Amino acid sequence: MSWFQPWGVARGLIVFGALALAPLLLPQHWMLNLAIFTLMYAALAVAWNLIGGYAGYVSLGHAAFFGIGAYTLGITLDKLGLSTPGAASSSFHDLVPFLLLPAIGIAVALMSLPVAWVALRTRATTFAIVTLTLLFVVQTLAFNLTKLTGGSQGLAFPVPSFAVDSFERPFYLAMLALLALAMLISWYVRGAKLGLALFAIRDDEDRARGLGVRTTGAKLSAFAASVGLTAMCGGVWAYYISFIYPQFAVDPLISIGTVLMVYLGGRGTLWGPVLGAAVVIPAQQYLAYRFGQNNLYLIGYAAVFLLVIVLLPRGIAPSLADWFRRRGRRAEAQEGEPELTPRVPVRGGG
Amino acid sequence: MRTVVQAVILGLSAGAVYALMASGLTLAFGVMRVVNVAQGALVILGAYGSYALFSHLHADPFLSILVVTPLLFVVGVAVQMVFLRRLRSDERELSLLVTFAVAIGIEGVLTLTFKTNYRSINPSYANRTLHLLGYQVPLVRVLAFVLSAGVLALLWLALERTRFGRALRATVQNPTSARLLGVEVERVAAVGFGLGAATGAAAGAVYGIVWPFNPGSHYDLISRLLSIVVLGGLGSLGGAVVAALLMGVAEAVVAATLSPVWSSFAFFAVLIGVLLVRPQGLFGTVTRGEL
Amino acid sequence: MGKPHGHGRPYGRPQGRFRFAAALAVAALLLAACSSGKSSSPSGGNQAQNSKPIRIGASISRSGDFSDPAQLVLRGYKLWADQVNAKGGLLGRKVEIVTVDDASSPNQAVTNYQNLITRDKVDLTFGPFSSLLTLPSAQVAKRYGYAFLEPEGGGPKVFAAKLPNLFFVQPAPAVAQGQVFADYVLSLPAAQRPKTAAYPSLDDPFASPVAEAVRTRFEQAGIRTVYNHIYPAETTDLTPIVQKVAAAKPDVVVAGTQSEDAYSQVKAMVQLGFSPKMLFMSNGANAPTEFPDKVGKANVNGVFSSSTWSPDAKTNGNAEFIAAYQKAYGGSPNGIDGNTADAYAVGQVLQQAVAKIGAIDNQKIIATLHSGTWSTIQGDLQWDADGAPNGKDVLLQWVDGTLVPVFPADRASKQPVAVKPPWGG
Repeated sequence: MSWFQPWGVARGLIVFGALALAPLLLPQHWMLNLAIFTLMYAALAVAWNLIGGYAGYVSLGHAAFFGIGAYTLGITLDKLGLSTPGAASSSFHDLVPFLLLPAIGIAVALMSLPVAWVALRTRATTFAIVTLTLLFVVQTLAFNLTKLTGGSQGLAFPVPSFAVDSFERPFYLAMLALLALAMLISWYVRGAKLGLALFAIRDDEDRARGLGVRTTGAKLSAFAASVGLTAMCGGVWAYYISFIYPQFAVDPLISIGTVLMVYLGGRGTLWGPVLGAAVVIPAQQYLAYRFGQNNLYLIGYAAVFLLVIVLLPRGIAPSLADWFRRRGRRAEAQEGEPELTPRVPVRGGG
Repeated sequence: MRTVVQAVILGLSAGAVYALMASGLTLAFGVMRVVNVAQGALVILGAYGSYALFSHLHADPFLSILVVTPLLFVVGVAVQMVFLRRLRSDERELSLLVTFAVAIGIEGVLTLTFKTNYRSINPSYANRTLHLLGYQVPLVRVLAFVLSAGVLALLWLALERTRFGRALRATVQNPTSARLLGVEVERVAAVGFGLGAATGAAAGAVYGIVWPFNPGSHYDLISRLLSIVVLGGLGSLGGAVVAALLMGVAEAVVAATLSPVWSSFAFFAVLIGVLLVRPQGLFGTVTRGEL
Repeated sequence: MGKPHGHGRPYGRPQGRFRFAAALAVAALLLAACSSGKSSSPSGGNQAQNSKPIRIGASISRSGDFSDPAQLVLRGYKLWADQVNAKGGLLGRKVEIVTVDDASSPNQAVTNYQNLITRDKVDLTFGPFSSLLTLPSAQVAKRYGYAFLEPEGGGPKVFAAKLPNLFFVQPAPAVAQGQVFADYVLSLPAAQRPKTAAYPSLDDPFASPVAEAVRTRFEQAGIRTVYNHIYPAETTDLTPIVQKVAAAKPDVVVAGTQSEDAYSQVKAMVQLGFSPKMLFMSNGANAPTEFPDKVGKANVNGVFSSSTWSPDAKTNGNAEFIAAYQKAYGGSPNGIDGNTADAYAVGQVLQQAVAKIGAIDNQKIIATLHSGTWSTIQGDLQWDADGAPNGKDVLLQWVDGTLVPVFPADRASKQPVAVKPPWGG
């Protein structure tokens, strides 16, 4: 159990403890609103990293599962008769959507298996495009199955009767819990046999299979866990936004944004995706809010994006780690060095 | 039956334009193993180029291709040299992000210059109709088909019959051996990428006459183009053409016979079905570790 | 050659990473905190309440799907604010329209109204463009007790949400937009009425319900439906659909359209040589400059559409609005887009409510607007408890190359042309 480091766990607990208490210290609505979106994308990025980072299968279709989670929750609430405005508003009813989340996560994870089995037969670029196609298929279904989804008219969620002053808090805590869960899974997988299998697949899948790694099982487990988490994020998001439409619930930009954050933070790392989200979302929302008046926003976004890729092709976390390592070497050689060597053996030979 | 035939005719003409756009995408993939997500944006850039020439200089959109295409060739070469060349071979997935950023950048520039209104290029013959064997076919559709087929034929000739084409094909097949045989792989890759952008520009001018467009139109386009090249088999020019025609016809026929809302779905269903049997697409080849 | 996998990359470890994560999170928070300090300082001092401008926040799409119409909405807000300010402002205070970009995304729209209300502490809010952004935004406004006057969120779900603070500033809900066309057709003597109808519609909360509502009325009156399909928003190629419509040979085509799909439908009809006796398009055909620009000047005559507003109407402040518009943006009165007029009317309604109350008080504005009639350039408006207006739009038709109101008679400036001339005529 070399990966179980008490100090690391303690630090994780401190971060999440601090984040859990943050709403009490920073109760401004606008800040919590920003935090909700940041936590959501952080959770999405960590979840995506399981398959996209660890196994190297770049999925552009995660927004499909985000939308499926959102719609599954909405349709369930609708069937339970909780969606009509003014119907049964008690504090318990307000919490029902959160209580349904685990079931939705598991259901979507199981449901994804056959789809994943087809998609994961393809590799690299083809996989990316096939998952993107899946996204459009799900979006088309959301538009066309009007009886269930309301089609282009959208689907309403019950509006909870939380107090105005602390309205955002339950959503914040739910997103935080999802991020914690995603981190926990991500951290566990890194040290488990599954993690080794995924890294081996990423390095060279054919070789891994040749060496007896159960590649299909590993890929399917990672994919299912990843999309299950994604679906739960979609559920919380939909409840918070209160109203969903096919083009926004199943939005390619959600997929692409998530991927961008993971690459920016550091693909395949534990904290990188969180870091990516913590930088991109506040920056994006702030830039759009402050500088959206002129149309330079898109150009600026693209420029920053290109700059990061050109300057930090491996992402912030690994690049900073290198920088710290070099500095550490110069100062006191023994500290950082052993920690930063890759735990998973890098492919030796070819 | 009549509706079906009419739909097939329309579908083929739409498919030919998509084939032209997709050929650029598949060419760029072939030479560099790079998926150019900016291909849709380059098409729209081409459309705006010929729109600008038409509205300011009254240049015929089909003739303006002669101006727009070389310009976009330069843009393509520049994108390749500035952003893509520096990516290491194990960072190819990054090319998805780089080219996506380029697409957003192009969208931003177009939004700034042309605003977001839908535009269309309306030459005097835009609404004229031809009667072919008792079927009515819009003239621009026929021209679009002829032009697309013509450019594709030129492209094919360039690849098959010229020295450069041979170098390019060698690079597609095996960059290392090509380099050993004296092919300047870097240059070939840049030119190949530029050619991909240039075919996008040609397709863009045609696109602008047949359909309305705005700076955001590239999102829809690229999703279709990516599906087309995957169905055809990444890197396969013939595959892209067949897949594009298949998509055009499937969509038009489903829209005319069943319901328009399921038309794009029909194509995606075909795609998933094909990938179940052939993960490498219709005409793709399996390379170890890569598809 | 196998896969060119040169150097494996280090996958990183929790330990080393953590430090930077924390540092960056802190930096991000600091950045946010600093920026909030900056923005709150100008509006910080609460002395001189009267000289402080009244700030009205609105989310306006600068990019994405709604950016085009959203700019026209912004024009209306600005024209109204400039006029009010030229006359000394509201209650002696200047009006300032604070706009932020939402990139046509509901996430950003929600964030924007959150920021506008709780951070920038604007006094009032106006709506964005589209029902899709209006509904989530109005929920935010409701939470903080803000009145939500909005010009372009009239889809059925907006009213189904039963928001007490929402007021849709148009004569009729989006669904009822075609009613005036149904009224006109059914007012014709039986012999002149169409016998068959086709309904090709865009899958959009603003478009397909319009055609649906007309179909219900037509079928009750015995007009047979020969084609009824919706097409998805991303359909750029409407030729196959129009071809199917043409094959059904309907007397009247009632198209639930938005904008570019309307142009594509007309282009396809022209190209396929199909000219129905009557053609109604819910939107797109009512765009005074875009429509002839896109389909060709020769192909507009006889096409029906409807609008909330007409330049010829003798409504409250209409002449003033048109004069101000022409001064700012030029063009002819017929070139003014309905979206701009709707947004201007939002300002008018607010102005009258504030004048009646004598204070900037959201709760009082909400209470006041729920009763009484409010006179705008769109005519007189009133709302039910859910914010739905109960009036009717005006029927427009392209006659001799211009868009004119033709029905009902009291709002018409020309007689409707019963049979559409062929394309190019």
